[in-house]
Formats: sequence, C-alpha cells, structure tokens
Amino acid sequence: MRFKLLDRIVDLKAGVSITAVKGLTLAEDYLADHFPLFPVLPGVFMLEAMSQASAWLIRATEDFQHSIVVLREARNVKYADFVAPGQMLTVQAEIVTEAERETKLRVQGAVDGKTNVTARLVMVRYNLADGWPSRASTDAHIIRQMREQFHVLYRPCTSRSGHYENGSVASSVLAANRAPR
Amino acid sequence: MPAQQEEVFEKVRTCLVDALGVDDDEVTPEATMVGDLGAESIDFLDIVFRLEKTFNIKIPRGELFPEDILSNAQYVQDGKVTPEGIEQLKKRMPFADLTKFESDPRVTSFGNMLTVQDLVNYVQSKLP
Amino acid sequence: MRWFWIDRFTEFQSGRSATAIKTVALSEDHLHDHFPGAAIMPNSLVLEGMAQTAGLLVCEHGGFAKQVILAKVSKAMFHCDAWPGDTLTYKAQIHDIKEDGAMATVTSHIGDRLQAELEVFFAHLEQLSSSGEKVELFVPYDLFSWLRLLKLYEVGRDAEGKPLAIHPRMAESDPFLANQPANAT
Repeated sequence: MRFKLLDRIVDLKAGVSITAVKGLTLAEDYLADHFPLFPVLPGVFMLEAMSQASAWLIRATEDFQHSIVVLREARNVKYADFVAPGQMLTVQAEIVTEAERETKLRVQGAVDGKTNVTARLVMVRYNLADGWPSRASTDAHIIRQMREQFHVLYRPCTSRSGHYENGSVASSVLAANRAPR
Repeated sequence: MPAQQEEVFEKVRTCLVDALGVDDDEVTPEATMVGDLGAESIDFLDIVFRLEKTFNIKIPRGELFPEDILSNAQYVQDGKVTPEGIEQLKKRMPFADLTKFESDPRVTSFGNMLTVQDLVNYVQSKLP
Repeated sequence: MRWFWIDRFTEFQSGRSATAIKTVALSEDHLHDHFPGAAIMPNSLVLEGMAQTAGLLVCEHGGFAKQVILAKVSKAMFHCDAWPGDTLTYKAQIHDIKEDGAMATVTSHIGDRLQAELEVFFAHLEQLSSSGEKVELFVPYDLFSWLRLLKLYEVGRDAEGKPLAIHPRMAESDPFLANQPANAT
C-alpha cells in the first residue's frame, strides 16, 4: 500500500491552516481486515490523515527546510463516527503554537459536514544530518520528493483569467500567504 | 470553600484536565461540562474511570451521567424531559442543581447544565 | 497491506496485562513512502499495534462476544522513531473494564528504551451504533485465525494462571474443533 493518506490539499494558508481530503475506497486492501464484515477507515488512519495534513502545512510554511516531519504527541483523539467506503473525509488542521522544532495543532476530520474525529497534535521536524552529518544527501532527496508530492497534492484550480496554474504555485502561494513572524 | 472540598476540587480539576485536554484555569466551579469544557459522551466514560481511580469510589452506570433516563421514551417527549423524568433525575442526581434545567428541560441542553461544582458535590457525597 | 500491527503475543494474562512484539522490516511497502530513503515506522501504526495489544485483552475478557473498538486516545507520546531491524515490545495493562467500555495504558519499548506511551479507551460497538442494529466486525473463524497467528492460546493464561482454554465462541467457529469430543479441546 502507498502510505499516502491524503488525496488532495484543498486550501492552505501558510503558518495558519490547511484543509485536505481523503476518499475511502473498498479497493484499499487493509479494509479486508478492518473489518471483514464492517469495512471502515481505521481510527489510526484518520489520525494519520490529520498528521499528514499537519505535516504538509508545516513543510509548506517553512519551505521544506526539514526532511522528517512526524507525530510526537496526540492528545484527546476522540472518534465520534466511522468513515465508510465511498465517503470523503475532510481534514482540517490549524496551528496553535510554533516552537523551533515542534508545532502544536488543533485538528479535526469530518464527513458531509459532520465532525467525526477531533484531536490535538504535536508534530516534530528534523533533518537526518542533525544526528548523522553523512546523511545530508538523504535529507536533500527526501525534500525533493516531498516538494514533488506537494505539487501533485496541491493544485489550485484556476487563476482569475480562468487558466490552470501549476509549476511553482507553492512558492507563489507561500509568498502571498506567509504570515509575519 | 472548606479545606476538604478544596482538595476534592483540585483532584476533580486534574481529572478533567487529563480527560478533556483543557487548561487548569478553564476548570472553574461554574464551568459547564459540555458547553464550557467541551465534554462529549466518550469523555464521560473517561471522566468516570479517572474519578473512580483518583477517589477510590465506584460510580454505577448512569449515576453521574443519566443517559438511560434521557433516552427513555417514558421520560422524554418531543425532545423534552417530562415532569416524571425530572423526578427520576432528581432522585438519581441529588448532588446536582436541576432548577435551571426544569425551566427548559430539553434533552439537548442537559449536558450544558452539569457543572464542575456538581461533579465535586457528587464525589463528596461518595466519600466516607 | 494486512491490518496486523503486532506479530505475536509473548505474554497474556487474561483481564490484566499482555505483551506483544512487532518487528519493523524493510520489506514493508509503506516504509518506502515514509520516507523515501529513510524508512521510519509511522507512529500512527505504532499506536495501532499498542491498541491491538490492549484491545484484544479487552475482547478476550468478554470471551470475544462483544465488538470492541478504539474510541478515544487520551494521550499518546512518541519519544523516538522506530527503524527497520527494530523490534517493538508493547506492554498493555488494563485499568478497568465496564459495561460501556474499557481503559488501558500501553508502553512501547525498543530494547530498554521507552519508545512510546499510550492511554486509550475502547467502547463496545453496540453502545455506539446509532441505527440500533447489531454490528458484527468479524466472522468468528477469521478472528480465531488471527488469535492463532498471534499464538494467544500458546502463551495465554487465565485469571487463575492456568493455560487459556479456547473460547467456546472460537471453537464453535472451527469445523475441525466443533467435531471433536468435548474433552479433546
């Protein structure tokens, strides 16, 4: 399975918030085990979708300075309802506070406008070279891959002239939306 | 607040901070569990477990959060708790001040009535 | 991807505690997205392994008659990352099991090093079903197969410390066992 728990980033305000979506399809093979008679998106994958949305917000905000962005803490993760095949989970993350390497976020997931999961997360970011200087080239490789993936995920649809914008959208979005620090 | 009640309040506050992820200063005696502190039904289970462990008490199902009365067709009509239902609630929850709820007995507003002080009163009533 | 986030139980005390292990292997597909060139076990899947360890403890306590699902994570903290070649050891303790649900705490270690901690709540599915219908998660035989893969009945101990007997609901689901004379199980 590809470990991509988001299908599209719908909205992003650097330093502030992100909205992304994940559609669930019966074709996802882990559903055969979760559960055989009641296929639903695993709770930890709802958490992973929210973590990945948070990670993209962090990466875009800092212009991909760090290769590794992972979950450090999850608090008060409450599951109110399931996500069934054919449904779309809309994930939102908002930055609460930022420190040098850690970001606190408030996150939630909803289906058809109804919230079915909420949580507070702490994400941590680092480069492999921080611990192993020889791994700086791996950091560069990961960052390149993350930039490419971001361009696939985040494709604002049209400009005012009605033409499709792509390419360096991420940098122009960053420039326009970067909140003063 | 007398010393023992102060101690109970501090411990209840710790339980609510751990269960609900709110800040210490949000947990005031007047704060409502649902409206102010954002408690949901899964949180009520969490709170019950923590209170039992902290105070070494047993909280029978429905004694603190009477979901069975609030979902019983005998006691609820058109989304409002009947006078009979209110009597049951009063018997079940002598620690809670139900006067406000009586004036607007909508099931949906019940959770907004229960305060931190009600919880403290309940715990005190269970202590030896 | 199979949804098995523990490899086997190494200890299992019915109603009390259990230890399970998960080996992290480069052959796992998802590690090559997380991240390309630096395979790190996603912490959400560490959490799932810890939850499976505790959740099966809760399920077993009820003889596998109730459907148990993850309802709330009060707190999950991850102190370091797990890499291929690491073996994660999950130790779960039940704090209490009630009619509505159960609370457990779980730790994850790599050797002696604390890798993660979890405080988790499970609910019984019938408490959450808004339609009021009884929902089954597993065909009993599938669940029984999973328990055997995890070696539950080889290491499991009941409340008196005796080897865990195969639960009636599981034995009934297996055509081979169901045809055995009663004293053969």
